[in-house]
Parts: sequence; structure tokens; C-alpha cells
Amino acid sequence: MSENSILSIGAPGFNVDRLVADLQATADRKMKAGVYADARVARAEKTNLVNLRGSDDFVSFYLTCLREAVFVDISDFEIHERRRFFTPLLVAFKKAIWKILKFYTYRLWSQQNQINGLIITGLEGMEEQTAARLAALEQRLARLEQQASGHGSP
Amino acid sequence: MARPDRIAFVCPRYAGEGAVGGAETLLKNLAIHAAAAGIPVDFLTTCAQSHHTWENNLPAGVKTTDGLQVHFFPTDARDVPRFLRIQQSIDRGRPVSETDELFWLRNGVYSSALLAHLDRHATDYRAILLGPYLFGLSYFAALAHPRQALLVPCLHDEPFARLTCMKRLFSETAGCLFNSQDERELAMELFTFPAAKSRIVGMGLDPFAVDSTAFARRHGLTAPYVLYSGRREPLKGTPLLCDYMQTFRERSRRDVKLVFTGSGTIDAPPALRPHLFDAGFVSETEKHEAMAGAIAFLHPSVNESFGIVLLEAFLARTPGLVHARSRVLVSQCRASGAGLWFRHYPDFENQLLWLLDHPEARAALGSRGHDYVAREYAWPVIERKFMEALDAFAPRRA
Repeated sequence: MSENSILSIGAPGFNVDRLVADLQATADRKMKAGVYADARVARAEKTNLVNLRGSDDFVSFYLTCLREAVFVDISDFEIHERRRFFTPLLVAFKKAIWKILKFYTYRLWSQQNQINGLIITGLEGMEEQTAARLAALEQRLARLEQQASGHGSP
Repeated sequence: MARPDRIAFVCPRYAGEGAVGGAETLLKNLAIHAAAAGIPVDFLTTCAQSHHTWENNLPAGVKTTDGLQVHFFPTDARDVPRFLRIQQSIDRGRPVSETDELFWLRNGVYSSALLAHLDRHATDYRAILLGPYLFGLSYFAALAHPRQALLVPCLHDEPFARLTCMKRLFSETAGCLFNSQDERELAMELFTFPAAKSRIVGMGLDPFAVDSTAFARRHGLTAPYVLYSGRREPLKGTPLLCDYMQTFRERSRRDVKLVFTGSGTIDAPPALRPHLFDAGFVSETEKHEAMAGAIAFLHPSVNESFGIVLLEAFLARTPGLVHARSRVLVSQCRASGAGLWFRHYPDFENQLLWLLDHPEARAALGSRGHDYVAREYAWPVIERKFMEALDAFAPRRA
């Protein structure tokens, strides 16, 4: 983001396109650096996906974010109680329930994690394959166009 | 033969009577200013307030309000299940027969009492201005009196605009009054009608001066806030806005509140709810105060023909942050130099952080917005454009 853009906002002839282009370029750089590879970004984008169909890079970026979200956290966690009365009793009760159910839920969640992992791997594979095919087709098209215009080797 | 002077406005709802909507506000304001300019005006609308149910909540009859004679007519009964089935097909881009398209229009909002009134009094009117385009009431009224019909379409790039029957609407009406050049270009892409049959009019905005701290003080808001005003529904992008703000708060650890004014339910993630303030339907003054105190006015909708609230926010010296897919909103940000546009969450986070961290730049953007709206959307400018359109498409001498 150039400081010049900021300084010229109040000046005549200021072009907001340049400011937006600067800010978008910064976001693009940060995306490439992995700053937004975050499960929360994948969740935030769920309603925006329909608007991003035309973006070449976004699917691979979205899959990177999804990779962060794909595994359900099945590890133990600290159990709290917000109610003021019978707090130790309620915490003990919740811990007991968690321990009893863990035997059943652990199996289900680990299977779900396996499925999620397989799906995301499959999606990433498909995306890589499609991108490679498209790149090859684009190269071939460019070659054919060059030949057709008489500039390339026959 | 001389035509009468009287003009009619036809709109499914009357803005302000418990109803909120850009198209309704636009038509109402054009009518008020036409009446103030000395043209006799009848505003024909329905007794409905909700654009979901179209139930008759208001009494039928004539009421003098805002200097206008407003005629309220009851809506007809609807076959809602079949209407929704067809709407779902249209939404998903499935082929729909023309019979089904007409059924969908007929069972959206329709008032045979209003159409009968128009049939009886059509010759009393020099022009009949109707909008928005996608409602059965506007559609059937326009095609019943095409030579007098001036469509104010408020057109969006949406599946409904691609219905076969819409081609007839745009080709047969006497003229189209668009809100922006981008809306006109979209219409030219979708329908075949001569450019000479259209004018860009839009809506004027009155300047206002408000206390930028009043809204936050009144509601006990101590943290900075961003604002959205208008209808809250998926088509307007409000779920996206809530998801983005929740993620922004979590990732940036900045305490920025999200404030809403307007109507409709807000579908927000539970963790965002304590940081969301819904002021509901507020007065114009309070809305302007809310705008003036906001860090930015957020407009995530991609379906806009004219961003009235965005222009109001500019007038309140607040910069806009809009979705890059809305060509009308981006165009307004570009023309004014007062708003930024985001493609996805990373852009949104980056731009909102930038606005938060650069108060002087934010003020400069806001100032540009204020000057732009005061110059381009002053009522005398819009009134002149409106009168020119009226003279072009409905000259006094037929």
C-alpha cells in the first residue's frame, strides 16, 4: 500500500481505483504468504462462493482454508460452568457425561475426520488436475492461434 | 390532442407506511417532487407492508400524505406454494415455461382493484410511472397501458431479469427511466430496445447536517462501529456481512461493532450477537446520525440498481465499503472517489483495517463523497432530468 495513495485522497485528480488496486494487491500478497489460510476464512466465505465463480485463484485458496477446517477437534477441553449455584457439582456432572459418551463419540468423530480428509484430498486433486489441463489447453490454443496467424512454425 | 397533466405512480408498497425498500423510496420521492413542481399526482399502491406475505395490513382508500393523494388498494389472493415452486426454479436457473412465468408474476403481488382503477382512469393520466420491474402489479399495469407506461425498472442482474416475458415489458413500454448508466447498460444487454427510449434519472437527496456522535451516545456505543441500513435478507448480502464481521473480530481482535438499521431478521452467528446492535426501523434523522458516526457504511449486496443508502452515507461524510460484484455500487464508489470494494474476505479484512487505521484518509474519502452527492444528486438536477424524460416520452401533445 503506497503512502502516496493516502496522501493524495484529498487532492484533485485522486483516483480511488489506484487505492483499491493497491489494497487488493496487498491482500493478494498476504493470501500467497498464507496469512488467510484459516478455517474461519473458509466459514466466512461460504455465502460469497457464488460470487467467486469467475476467479481462477480463489478455488485453490478456498481449499487451503478448508484444509484448516476439515478436522473436527476431538481432544479433551476444559469444562466450565457459568451458573453461580452448584458450580462444582455441575462441572463434575458434565465431566462424567463427557467421559461416558467419549467411548462412542470418539469413534464417530474419528471416522468423520477420515471422511473429511479424504474428501478434501480428492477435491484438491481434482482442482490440481483441472488447473493443469486448462493450462495445457491454453498453451495449445495459443500455439494454434499463432500458427493460424502465420507467425509460428508450421 | 392535448394530454391531461395528471400523472400516476404505481408501486406495490408505499415507503414509510411500515415498509422499507429502495425502489419504493425512489418512486415516492419522485412523486413528491413532481407534485411539488405543480404536476397533479396520484400514487397508486396496495394495502400490503410485507414484501414476503403481501398481506393487506393497511386500510383501503385514499389518504393524503407527504403532499400526495395515495390510493391504497387490496392485494388479491395468491397461490403461494406454486408461486414458491416456480420462484425456486427461476432462482436455480431451470427452464420455466412462459405460462409459469406469468403465473409467478400474477401470484407475487397483484391487485385487480388497482388495475380496474387504472382501466377506468387511464385517459386521465398523461403518464403512468411504474416500478420495480419484477412485480406482477407493475408488469400487468404497464402492459395494459403501454403507450402511457414509463417503467422505473430498478433492474438487477438476477435470474428474474432473464425471464422471457420481461422482453415484452421492456420493448412495449413507452420509455424507461433508469437510475444509473450501469443499470441502463445491463438493460441494453438483456433486452432489445432503442437507447432513445431510455433516460437516466435516479433520485435526489436533500443535504443534511447531523451530530456524528449522537447515535453512539444515545445507544451507549463506546466502540467504533460499521453500519448497514436497509432490508436484511440473503439477497442483500446481510448473512455474508455477519459472517465477515464475526471473522474480522476473531482474527483482528479489534472491537468493532456491527450496527443495523432497517427491517427484517438478522441471521448472525451466535458469537457475533453481543457485538451487533439492531436499531430497527429508525427515523431519517437517526439513520443519518448512525451513518455520520460510522467508520464505514457496508453494502454487501450484489443486486443493486441504485445505492440510495450508500449515497446517503456519502452525504453523511462516511466512506463506503461495497461488494466488487455490484457494478452499480462500485461505479458509485469510483465516480465519487469515496468508497472501496472487496472481492472476498481477505480484501474485506485488509480494507476495513486500513479504514480503521487511517482516520484522516477516511475523513478525506467521506468529504469527497459528500461533495459528489451534493453536486450530482441535488434535487434540482434530478427534477430537471425527470421533467425532460416526461416531456420526451409523454409529451403534453399526443
